[in-house]
Amino acid sequence: MSATAYLTGLGAAGIAAVLGALLPTRWRLLGAMVPGALACLAALVGSGQVLLSGRSFSLHVAQVLPFTGIDLSLDPLGALFVATTAIVGLAASCYSVGYGAHRAPGRTATATVPAFLATLLLVPAAASVATFMVAWELMALTSLLALLTEHRQRPETRDAAQWYAGMTHAGAAAVLLGLVLLAAHAGGQSFAAIAAHRGRLSAPVASAVFVLTALGFASKAGAVPLHVWLPRAHPEAPSPVSALMSGAMVNLGVYGILRTGQDLLGGGQLWWWLLVAALGVASAFFGALHAAASTDVKRLLAYSTVDNVGLVLVGVGAAGALAAGGERVPAGLVLLAALFHLVNHALFKGCLFLGAGALQQATGTRDLDRLGGLARRMPVTAALFAVAALSISALPGLNGFASEWLLLEGLLHGFASRSSLTDAALLAGVAVFAVTGGLTATAFVKAVGVGFLGRARSEAARSALEVRPSMLAGGGLLAGGCVVLGVVPGVAVPVLDRAVAATLAGGAPGAVRAGLGLDLASLDGAIAPALLVEGLLAAAIVSWGVLRLFPRGAGLRRPRRSEAWGCGQEPQSARTEITATSFAEPLQRVFADVLRPDHDLEVTHADESRYFPEAISFHQRIDDAVERVAYGPVIGVVARWGRLARRGPNGSVHRYLGLGFAALVLILVFLA
Amino acid sequence: MAGAPLDLVQLSAGVVLAGAVLALWRRDLRALTSVLALQGCALATLAIVLAVHNGAVGLGVVAGVVLVAKGFVIPGLLARAVRAAPGSRETAPLVNVPASLVAAAVLVVLSYVVAGPLTALFPSPLTRLAPLGLATVLLGFFVLVTRRKAVSQIVGLLLVDNGVALVAFLLTAGVPLLVELGTSLDVLLVVVVLQVLATAMRARFGQFDLDQLRELHD
Repeated sequence: MSATAYLTGLGAAGIAAVLGALLPTRWRLLGAMVPGALACLAALVGSGQVLLSGRSFSLHVAQVLPFTGIDLSLDPLGALFVATTAIVGLAASCYSVGYGAHRAPGRTATATVPAFLATLLLVPAAASVATFMVAWELMALTSLLALLTEHRQRPETRDAAQWYAGMTHAGAAAVLLGLVLLAAHAGGQSFAAIAAHRGRLSAPVASAVFVLTALGFASKAGAVPLHVWLPRAHPEAPSPVSALMSGAMVNLGVYGILRTGQDLLGGGQLWWWLLVAALGVASAFFGALHAAASTDVKRLLAYSTVDNVGLVLVGVGAAGALAAGGERVPAGLVLLAALFHLVNHALFKGCLFLGAGALQQATGTRDLDRLGGLARRMPVTAALFAVAALSISALPGLNGFASEWLLLEGLLHGFASRSSLTDAALLAGVAVFAVTGGLTATAFVKAVGVGFLGRARSEAARSALEVRPSMLAGGGLLAGGCVVLGVVPGVAVPVLDRAVAATLAGGAPGAVRAGLGLDLASLDGAIAPALLVEGLLAAAIVSWGVLRLFPRGAGLRRPRRSEAWGCGQEPQSARTEITATSFAEPLQRVFADVLRPDHDLEVTHADESRYFPEAISFHQRIDDAVERVAYGPVIGVVARWGRLARRGPNGSVHRYLGLGFAALVLILVFLA
Repeated sequence: MAGAPLDLVQLSAGVVLAGAVLALWRRDLRALTSVLALQGCALATLAIVLAVHNGAVGLGVVAGVVLVAKGFVIPGLLARAVRAAPGSRETAPLVNVPASLVAAAVLVVLSYVVAGPLTALFPSPLTRLAPLGLATVLLGFFVLVTRRKAVSQIVGLLLVDNGVALVAFLLTAGVPLLVELGTSLDVLLVVVVLQVLATAMRARFGQFDLDQLRELHD
């Protein structure tokens, strides 16, 4: 039953892609997105059944792939990722109907989104090395095409696509090497055969496999220092694709690490997981810092994805380290929290990217310094964006708080483990939580405050109109998920527990008692956000009522209305408002060594006197320091080799033929 | 296979290789087209002998196609192109003729060395001739690399194709009809395209020299 629903979903997504490519322009958008949304629903039903019943399915189709056939299997871990993808995909399909409608939708847009969706649904169900690699590469290919959709409008997209193609290719090569090595030593290429062999792998081989695959998957997940493609590709992709990339594709990097490290290799050694945690700590800090400093709203969201994936990797690494040290209960708790945060991140980051797309469509810009005052022009978009922003800032009553609380509890309860190295990793994790919490709040206060509040800073923002209902429905679905999982986080616990039980070799499920709130079963600690929300609501109603009834008694004679971010002064012009750049400026000074901003200040003086400036223009660029330090020299060397090699072929046909002939003769001589 | 048919096959294979050497030696472009016609006829003879000896009808049809395409049509087309052009001599090849002939000797030796394992798979009088085909391929490639005129380039390409066909006839006792038809048509098309290119080049630059096309890179 679950298999039927899941396969129906896959098939429907494939049909949607074909329809999107073939239908005439008028019907293209609906013809692609309605089957796409239905595909997500079917996949959600299929994976939901696996998650709720705990019974996985597997099947083998011999005809499709030559020599090996296709192996599909959906266990609770894979099902969790399929379900997350399906929810984000449902919202993105719904949103695409409105997003594409303002101009004639091209075939690329309508065909690649469902195709990308289909591959995203396929990867977590792949159950052999060959199937997995085919699905993985298809996902890379379709996402690359989807990213390139708007390359005619924005030439920067091509640059982003080159970075993405390079990084994802290198990552896939590392994964392929690792998995082939694993399959060769385990004597079988199906995941079941490999998992059955897991104790008997020699330690160096297992370590090599883990390091290769973890690096490959980390590049897909966007972990520092392999993240360089992400802040380029996510902003340049069309917004539904950004939401899918950030809410679903990036997760699959984490899935890959869990699948190989925990399932196929059976947990392995402590240092593996400390490596993962270290990647996570670096990503969380670096991503949060750049998010706080960015002024492009989609770039901000992209760096925030790096940050959140970092937090999830800290959890995955800590869980692996604890499990390798035999601390079963905290390991289970931390992994559950990490998976919960991953799901939550998909919900709120999907919603944020869809909101950013709405902003971009309404105003034509992503630059926060040119927005402002949109809460009045686009109230629903603003409300949805704000819910997701509060959620990502981990405010109580929303889902970000629930998972970050759990993760922090897990890290703290893991202390005094048997290994001092693990303790150090946990401590680093807690510290990075503290830092990123503040930085993320700064970033999103900036995004909401500068983007939606205050006064419009440009004509485009002043005349923006609310976007179509289908777009709002897509964002609303995800924001609704944020609220539900925030108020009653306990409902997700049984589902997550199944995934943990299916994953962690040395971990114990059942670390969190199922219920409405979160209650750590064998450890101390419980929260009930529902009560908190009820209390807050009650307090708000009571104080509103008291003020209403006794305005004089409360000291409020005449309420004075003033604009938000107006510092209480009015009227003021938009030019005196705080901007995104100025809001982040103090932070930039503190972290100047990491961010290294480039300033460019031009002062034009009046002809009469040098003391009277006529115009002042200020430009600031913040480049990625990791990209400059780690990738710049490599790219320089490659470019030098390229220039050197270009001297050979000078356009003479004879030289080309001669090179070919020389190669042929050399090969023949070598063979002889 | 032995006796007269074998002699005929050996003679034909030898003529194909000799044609390739001749193509390196002669600088007159008209002579090159005659060399090609000779090679085509030799190939067709070889195929006919094999077809009669094996009683294979398909191979007989292939032989007919080879005779028409490689013996008459393609050399005829080339000859027409050469007649249309005034300066029909390969004046300054990149490697001069004596050096080319020495290189040809080296290439023939190389092909014998390389084809050793190939003939060892199934030693028979026919497969022992395979190095001749390989040598023709290499010599054709050498013509491509060292000759400047567009017509010489076409000749080089056709030599490569004839060499491939010879190896195919000798090692597999004939390729399937469909494949041979396909490759023959392919080669015909290439010749037509190259001829058009050569004519266009002459109209544009007043000569056939391919090295004038240097601006086309990147």
